[in-house]
Amino acid sequence: MLKKLLLLGVVSGILSGILSIIYAKIYTHYLGVDFSTIATPVKIIVSSLVGCLLAAIGYWLLHKVLKSKTEIVFNLLFTVLSFVSILGAIATKLPLELQSPELFPWLVLPMHLFPVLGWLTLEPIFFPSQKA
Amino acid sequence: MRKILNVLPALLLLVVASSFRQAGADWNIGTGYSVKFSTSGDVGGIFRTLTGAIHFDENSPATASFNVAVDINSINTGNGVMNTHAKSAEWFDGAKYPKITFVSSKVVKAGAGYQAIGTLTMHGVTKPFTLPFTFQRSGAGGLFHAAFTVNRNDYGIGKPGDVDDNISLELSVPVTKK
Repeated sequence: MLKKLLLLGVVSGILSGILSIIYAKIYTHYLGVDFSTIATPVKIIVSSLVGCLLAAIGYWLLHKVLKSKTEIVFNLLFTVLSFVSILGAIATKLPLELQSPELFPWLVLPMHLFPVLGWLTLEPIFFPSQKA
Repeated sequence: MRKILNVLPALLLLVVASSFRQAGADWNIGTGYSVKFSTSGDVGGIFRTLTGAIHFDENSPATASFNVAVDINSINTGNGVMNTHAKSAEWFDGAKYPKITFVSSKVVKAGAGYQAIGTLTMHGVTKPFTLPFTFQRSGAGGLFHAAFTVNRNDYGIGKPGDVDDNISLELSVPVTKK
């Protein structure tokens, strides 16, 4: 199970990382603000990947305790933690040479939600039996 | 006619002296200036916009004058929420008092540097203020540098205790001759 969970973590992490990079490109293009020195593609991919891998380990640990109720608790926990992590982005202090720090949270806010969305989207593919 | 001829050299001297003074002592604020503020905590940042008129000759500081303004709405703390908070009515009230201004009335030599004595206006409060600074000439330009502290409570900015009362300011202003 752990192997499958880790694979789900890797795939959803990469997928959400790619989505975040695409979103960042669109955001930069339409709003004319550039935070690419802070939110670099490598940082985006790595943080998405790490987030989803931690989720995979978290799921595995929860399953050891909660068994059949794992999915409900995990999904709720993952979603809540993703929302809470947005606070960190709002509190981030950017280098002073960067213009319009007001627009930074709106860039990273969806990025903090993409991993959980990726996970929830791909989970039925990796664990179809649980959905039956 | 003789009277006119007698007065003419004096007039010429006055015109030349006046034009020399204008050319040598009026400065444009150059690009790359910085207006930084800091506290002992994590509150700090910059003001992006500085404008004003500078008249200064290091050989004749008594003739110097400064009339400079910082745009409150150009504040950048590096954090959007803090920027909005700083511009709000609780702090600088940028909508009502969009500028911080310093107008000198006298400039004197003080040790290796100078002191501009005048008035500082912030948040609608005007108080006498002495601004210490140095000036380094380099070719056709120069660099003004000033570091000083301002007690924000004197100007009714923010609530006492939220942030340090004394805010450190550091200005580095490259100038070019007009």
